[in-house]
Amino acid sequence: MIEAGIQKPDLNFPAFFRFRRLDGTYVVTNAQGDFVLLTPEEFRAFGEGTVERGSALWDRLKQGNFIRAEFDVPAAVARLKNRKKFLQGGPNLHMLVITLRCNETCVYCHASRANMDAVQTDMSKETAEKAVDLILQSPSPFITIEFQGGEPLVNYSVLQHVIEYAQERNRAAGKQLEFTLVSNLALMDEEKLAWLLDHKVQICTSIDGPEHLHDKQRKLVASSAFKAAVYWIERINKAYVERGLDPTLYHVEALLTTTREALSRGKDIVDTYAKLGCKALFLRPIDPFGFAEKTGHKVEYPRAEYLEFYRTTTDYIIEQNKLGVQMIERYAAIFLTKILTGEDPNFLDIRSPAGAGLSAIAYNYDGKVFAGDEARMMHETGDDTFLLGELGKLTWRDVATHPTIRALVIGSNLDARPDCVNCAYNPYCGVDAVHTYKTQGSLGGRMRESTVCSVHKGIQDYLFNKLRENDPAVMEIFRRWTTNRLREHHIHAPE
Amino acid sequence: MSTGSALEGLPKDLVAHDPAEGSVTITVDASVYPIEALYGAAYIFIDRCYVLIDRPRGGSFSVSLTPKATAADEALRAMVGEFANELLSQAWRQKILEENRVILETVTTQALAGAMGPPSLDDLAAFDFSEESFEDPLGIAMSWEDKYKKKPEDKGASKPEGG
Amino acid sequence: MRDLRFHKDIYDAQAVAGAVEVYNRFADITVREEGEHRVVSVGGKTPARERKVALELANYALGLTRKGAVA
Repeated sequence: MIEAGIQKPDLNFPAFFRFRRLDGTYVVTNAQGDFVLLTPEEFRAFGEGTVERGSALWDRLKQGNFIRAEFDVPAAVARLKNRKKFLQGGPNLHMLVITLRCNETCVYCHASRANMDAVQTDMSKETAEKAVDLILQSPSPFITIEFQGGEPLVNYSVLQHVIEYAQERNRAAGKQLEFTLVSNLALMDEEKLAWLLDHKVQICTSIDGPEHLHDKQRKLVASSAFKAAVYWIERINKAYVERGLDPTLYHVEALLTTTREALSRGKDIVDTYAKLGCKALFLRPIDPFGFAEKTGHKVEYPRAEYLEFYRTTTDYIIEQNKLGVQMIERYAAIFLTKILTGEDPNFLDIRSPAGAGLSAIAYNYDGKVFAGDEARMMHETGDDTFLLGELGKLTWRDVATHPTIRALVIGSNLDARPDCVNCAYNPYCGVDAVHTYKTQGSLGGRMRESTVCSVHKGIQDYLFNKLRENDPAVMEIFRRWTTNRLREHHIHAPE
Repeated sequence: MSTGSALEGLPKDLVAHDPAEGSVTITVDASVYPIEALYGAAYIFIDRCYVLIDRPRGGSFSVSLTPKATAADEALRAMVGEFANELLSQAWRQKILEENRVILETVTTQALAGAMGPPSLDDLAAFDFSEESFEDPLGIAMSWEDKYKKKPEDKGASKPEGG
Repeated sequence: MRDLRFHKDIYDAQAVAGAVEVYNRFADITVREEGEHRVVSVGGKTPARERKVALELANYALGLTRKGAVA
C-alpha cells in the first residue's frame, strides 16, 4: 500500500479485501472471491476513501462488493456458500489400487510399482468387495471409482468384478456411479475394450510428449510405450464415434507429467496432444512422491523454470485455440472457473480445505485405506502417517470421523495458514496438506518455501495478467474453458 | 560456544555455535514466539536434529539443535535459517488460529458432518443407549403404551373407556 | 556423565519420566530436581554412547510432551 502512495488509509471506506501488486496493476479480492483490477491511482483512491460516488470506479467497486457502506451481505453469503458447497458432499472419489504390478517403468512413478511376477500385490476379489461395500456408504450422491495401479489392466478380472459388484450393490445404495481407468493402455485388447466401453468406463492415460520424450521416460520392454498408447487412444476415440458419441466430449483423456526434459518441449507436447485428439492438457509439474523422490536429481527443476514453461506453453495453446484447435489447459480452466464464475470445479488439490481424506480416499491392494493417493504413496515409501485403517475393520463412521482427516481439513484450510490468510488468491487457491507434510514436515507448511504455492501464484499471476489485457479473443477462449459439459454417458444411474 | 563462520551473517546475540558438539543454540523472545510455536517448530526438526528447549531467563526461550549427521557450515547455517522461518510460521499460525477460530470450526464441522452423513443402521446398533435417562416425573418421554399399560395387580380392571 | 536440563515449564513431568523409562535400559540414568529444571544424568560405557542416548532421550521427551499437549 505504501508503494501505491497511500498516505492516509481510510479504514471505513473499503470492505474487507486482500490485494496483490502485479506488474503495475493491483489485484484486489474479497473473502467471497469477487475481484477488481485497479491501477495504482485507483488503488490509492480506494485505500484513501476518495472514490467519487457514482463514478465508473465507484460502480466497479460496488459491483464487486468492495465498499463497506454499500456491502451486500446476502450476496456475499450466497457467493461464499456456493464456493464451499463441496463441504456437504462427503468423499466422492475412491481410488482402488488393484495391483502394484506394472509392465512399464516410469522415471517419476508415483505408484511404487512392482515387477510383473509380484502377484502378491494384486487386490483380491474379497478385498475389492469390502472396498466397494465401504465406498457405497459415502453420503455423496455421486461416486467415482477410479482404477489405479501399477497397471490396473494387469488385474483385469478384479477390475471387472468391482464394476459388476458395484453396480449390483448400487441398486440399494442409489448412487450416480462412474468408473474411471488410469492405464498405460499397453495391455489393452479388443475384447477388453469392448467390455470397458459396454460398461461405460472412462479411460485416461499418460502422454509425456512426442515419442522420443515419452519413451525415454516410460520404459516398455521390447516395445514403444508411446506407440502402444497412441494406437489405443486412436482406437478408443474411433470406438466412441462408432457408438454415436460426440467426439468433442467423449475421448481418451491424457495426462502429462512435466519433467526437466519437457521444459524445452512445450510446443511439441501441445502438438502431440492436438494430433491425438486430446481436448485437454494438464501442465502438471512433477511432485515429490514415489520414484520422483529418488530420481529428483534427474527430473526435478526450479519452479521459476516451470513457470516460464507454463506461460509460453499456455500462450501457444491459446494461439492454437485462435486457429480453431479445441484444447484447454487444465490448470487455467480450474482457476478461471473459480475466478470468473464463482463456482468451484472441485479439483481436490486446489481447494480449501483440500480433498485428501475429505473427498478422496485410496484403497490399497492389501486392504489398507488411506486419506488419498499421495497418502498411499507415502505408505509405499515407509510413512504411514495418513493410514486410516483396514477394510473389514473400518466402518464408514470410522473413516469420516478419523482424527487424521480432521487434521487434514484444518491443516489445508487456507484461513489457518500463514501467508495464505493474507493472499489475494486465497478464494481461488489450495495446497494439499499431505504435500506440505511430505516436503516441509507439517500440515500447514511454509508457503513462501512451497513449490506448490509458487506454481499456483505464478499461474494465477499469468491469468490475471491476461484478464487485465482483456483481449476479446482470449476472453472468449477463457469463457469456453470455464464451461463444464457433463459427460452423462459415463454415469451409471441407480437401476 | 562461538559465533564462528558457520553462522556468518546471523545475529550473534541470538545464535551461538558449539563446534565441539556440532550444535547451534537459538535464543528467542518469549513474547514474540509462544511455547506452542517452539514445540511446533522443534518437532518438525526431530527427524534430522536432536532438539532441546530451555528457558535461560524469564522472557526468552533457547532451542539447541544438534544435527544427527555431521553438518558442514553451510548446511548448519541453512538449518538455522529454516528453523527460524518455521518458528515464525508457527507463531503466526497460532495467532491466525485464534483470530479465525469461528470460521475454521464452522468449515471443519460442516466438512466432517458432510462426510459422515446420517447414521447407518450399524451405527445405531452400535450406539450406547445404556446411560441413565433424565428424570421424567410427568412421564412425558414415555410412550402411551408404557404409560397406560395394565400393571400386574390391575389385571382384572376394565380398559379405560373412550373413543 | 552427561546432564540434560528439562525446564519444568517446557517438559512436563510425565514426558520426562516416560522418556527415562524407555532409555533406562541403554544407560545409567538418574533424575534430580534443580530449581526450575529436572536434570536427567546419563551415564554410559563411552562418551559417544552417553551423548547418543542423552540426545535421543531429549527428542523422545519432546515428543511425549507434544503428544500430551495434543491429547
